[in-house]
Amino acid sequence: MYRFLRFPILLVGLFLGVSSFAANNSQPALTTEDSLGPQVQQPIEFPHNRHAGLKDPSDPAKGGMEINCQYCHTYARRSAVAGIPPLQKCIGCHQNIESVKDKPRIVELFKYWDAKKAIPWKKVHDLPDFVRFNHERHIKRFVEQQDRPVQEACGYCHGDVKEMTVARRQKSLAMGWCASCHEKDHPVVAQSGTPIAGQAYWYSFQKPAAAVDANTKARGPNDCWQCHK
Amino acid sequence: MIDSGSVKQLAGHPFDRRDFLKVLGWSGAAVALSGCGNTSVEDGRETVVSYVEANDYMVPGIGVYFNSTCAQCDAGCSINGRVREGRVLKLEGNPDSTINKGKLCGLGQAGVQHHYNPDRVREPVLRNGTKGETITWEKAYALIAEKLTGVKGEEIAFLSGGVSGHLKVLLGNYLDSLGTKNHFVYEAIAPSVVRAANVKAFGVEMPRYRFDKAQVVLSFGADFLGSWVSPVHFSQQYAQFRKGVNGQRGVLIQVESKMTLTGANADRWLAVKPGTEGVLALGIINALGMATGDVAELVKGYDKARVSRETGVSTGQIDKIAALLKLRSPSLVLAGSAAEGYAHGSQNAAAINLLNQVLGNVGKTIEAPVSVPFPQMAPSKGNTVALKNLNDGLAAGKFKVVFNFAANPVFTAPGAFKFKDNFAKAGFKVAFAHYLDETALQADLVLPLDSALEDWGTQVPEYMTEGAQINIQQPLMERLHANTRGMGDILLNLIKQKKADEYKGFEDYYAYLRGAVLQNKGALGGGGVEDDTFWNDTLTHGIVKLAGTTTSLSAHASAAGLVLPAEVEADEHFPLHLIPGVTASLRDGRHTNQPWLQESPDPLTTIVWDSWVEIHPKKAAELGIVEGDIVQVTSKTGSVKAQVYLFPGIHPEAISIPVGRGHDAMGRYAKGYGVNPFQILDAVFEAATGELAMHETRVKISKTGQRVLVVKDEGAAGALQMGRKIAARVSTDQVDLSKEV
Repeated sequence: MYRFLRFPILLVGLFLGVSSFAANNSQPALTTEDSLGPQVQQPIEFPHNRHAGLKDPSDPAKGGMEINCQYCHTYARRSAVAGIPPLQKCIGCHQNIESVKDKPRIVELFKYWDAKKAIPWKKVHDLPDFVRFNHERHIKRFVEQQDRPVQEACGYCHGDVKEMTVARRQKSLAMGWCASCHEKDHPVVAQSGTPIAGQAYWYSFQKPAAAVDANTKARGPNDCWQCHK
Repeated sequence: MIDSGSVKQLAGHPFDRRDFLKVLGWSGAAVALSGCGNTSVEDGRETVVSYVEANDYMVPGIGVYFNSTCAQCDAGCSINGRVREGRVLKLEGNPDSTINKGKLCGLGQAGVQHHYNPDRVREPVLRNGTKGETITWEKAYALIAEKLTGVKGEEIAFLSGGVSGHLKVLLGNYLDSLGTKNHFVYEAIAPSVVRAANVKAFGVEMPRYRFDKAQVVLSFGADFLGSWVSPVHFSQQYAQFRKGVNGQRGVLIQVESKMTLTGANADRWLAVKPGTEGVLALGIINALGMATGDVAELVKGYDKARVSRETGVSTGQIDKIAALLKLRSPSLVLAGSAAEGYAHGSQNAAAINLLNQVLGNVGKTIEAPVSVPFPQMAPSKGNTVALKNLNDGLAAGKFKVVFNFAANPVFTAPGAFKFKDNFAKAGFKVAFAHYLDETALQADLVLPLDSALEDWGTQVPEYMTEGAQINIQQPLMERLHANTRGMGDILLNLIKQKKADEYKGFEDYYAYLRGAVLQNKGALGGGGVEDDTFWNDTLTHGIVKLAGTTTSLSAHASAAGLVLPAEVEADEHFPLHLIPGVTASLRDGRHTNQPWLQESPDPLTTIVWDSWVEIHPKKAAELGIVEGDIVQVTSKTGSVKAQVYLFPGIHPEAISIPVGRGHDAMGRYAKGYGVNPFQILDAVFEAATGELAMHETRVKISKTGQRVLVVKDEGAAGALQMGRKIAARVSTDQVDLSKEV
């Protein structure tokens, strides 16, 4: 006779259980209003501005060094994940830069090196596990094929890193944000005037344009499978 | 949340489709709600660790592949492991190896679960009463040295599984330095009786079988596709055999009392009365009418009527097999574990080898084997005789220090040995272990070993294929746990306690191995090559291929001394034969703690995570047993309780329980699942070799009154799919052999 009660009670219990689990699970908000990610405390406050920033013509000691992003983030053009440069990379230069050797951050850096320990950097850009973003393809497309400046291409997603010290997420990296770019019409001819072979076809499932010119446009991949494999 | 209580409560009441959909809908909605804000994004919280130093080929997200050797069984398949971000992720076969040619079986695939297993021993553990306390390696070594002082060589025993390569050499040297000859090599499941019979018939323990050249394979219980000798290699040869020579597809006939994976693949499967394999072999020789001399004399008495009466195989079947073997040549006849597992196992195997000789297969499908030119590295083999000798010594209190490596005798010794009690009589017991298994739990000192994917080594397979080879084992990644050590490193440390001068040049086992390989560079095919080049080349390939030495094969199987026992009277008290089933994935149970192996369904019954008792449906009906009944299986030695599975692929006078499950230690995926039939095996031995006759135990079964749902993947027996039978069944008597030929 209580059978009709059993299900509502079960379901209410189920709902409460699950929602209390969700409520307890305090997470930083995915996106703030300006799409900025959380400020992340890093073990060493790495100054991106000093390494990648623009040179100061009046005082070379003050400005940046305009180092190409790919000099350190060398995995980005080779792999789906950009990775973090090995410690060896930092030391490769810094063992020869006497002028900053006593600065606290560099002292800290060499402590890790001497102990042969990896620096426990915190992740600044993360995607859910069901998303497969591929760095290599984006760099191939924008840097190698379209001859865009590296900082511009990386900056589409990572913001103006040359102005930052420790990197902070600038874009929401949510699916809608990704799609907003993939839905735009992009030229299929490089800035240098070279047609990008076959790309128009692959990028929007059209037949390749017979005569590719500077006005031919195509979109990024729009099938679910590209990212959700 | 739904707890198990409410599920049971629900299950006890009619739970119609509408209710089910309601629950499904609501729980779906609840999960969807909880999904909000609950993603896996971990900005600013998760650590992303980079390399300190990285080789150019190490790119995050891109796999690097290394060659090594599979250590899951001793077939010696070469593996190729994918390593990414310093972690080994997946194993596949190395195409360079002629043994497995780029393929790997399920057991081998599960090797990563051995490596990442959460239940591995991570620190040296010393017994303190009933508890263990972790100690340092220095203390452990000092303790062993202390316990060995003043102990005579004959009071030391070393029990190990099969070892080969440089580890075997080093172990031999260590035992020499201790002045002991008590090295007991024990593999719970090994074709030792067949090896002995082969030496008599062919002059070699294991000839090279050529399934690919045979037109008919007649196998007496050799599960060569599942668990016998070198299954991955045999499977590939079997594929060739099935493709056939000149378009004629090979025919496989399997004779056994309990269907194996190979039996399930056979064109013709014959249930033979347990133990009468030899009688059938002689009966076939008789029916062939090709024998001469004393062989003809021997088989004269084995006329079809008698053979049929004794074996339970119909005269028509015997005629058909003989006709097929006459028509098609060469053929290949195999004696497997089912034939050798009786007190007269040697006689069975001898009769089967005789059949091979009469058919003229020796030299055609049975070829001379190849071995490595370094006999000291050849695999050491052993079976229950070794364990029995150790057990007798232990019972007599002869041993003061006992070492155990790569064997788990407390689990695999037949119950009649009372091994656990005898083991306790040893003074000081050292176990080199991956898990705290049943034997390690009884030890006084447990030393944690590296997994096979972290350790250095060489391995020499017993069964060589095309040419000889030495397999290289190398770490695919760094140690997972800081305090495990490789067996080679441990032995080197121990031997330095005795012969410090001789071994001081070797900092670790890697240095020893490298030195030993480079020392014989010329013989290993690296003459004139620089040391570093040759070593790197060796590691890259993972295999050293050699011009091996070929042992010549003789064909002197004879009728002399071949006497098969008369028909055995049925035992009134224990009417059924117990056949311990050896499955392709669990083998002797050393890998049961790898959950993939527990989870992958048994190929014949589709049962997972549990043991079962196979009973023929007719016998079950006679006893009033249905599927899922918990029965008590009792032998003279002991009893176990397990669920019943009705299986038409078993002789009505036999039952079968798979071995490998029923651990009461070892780890979370092994402990408490199923039962261990080793425990109830009687101490009946094979007459000629003294090995345990694994199929000789007689049992009785009784119902306990309990019944469970058998957890299995298959549907109900005889089920229909789309209104039709899934596969039409024809009894073997109804098959027209002329259509197969």
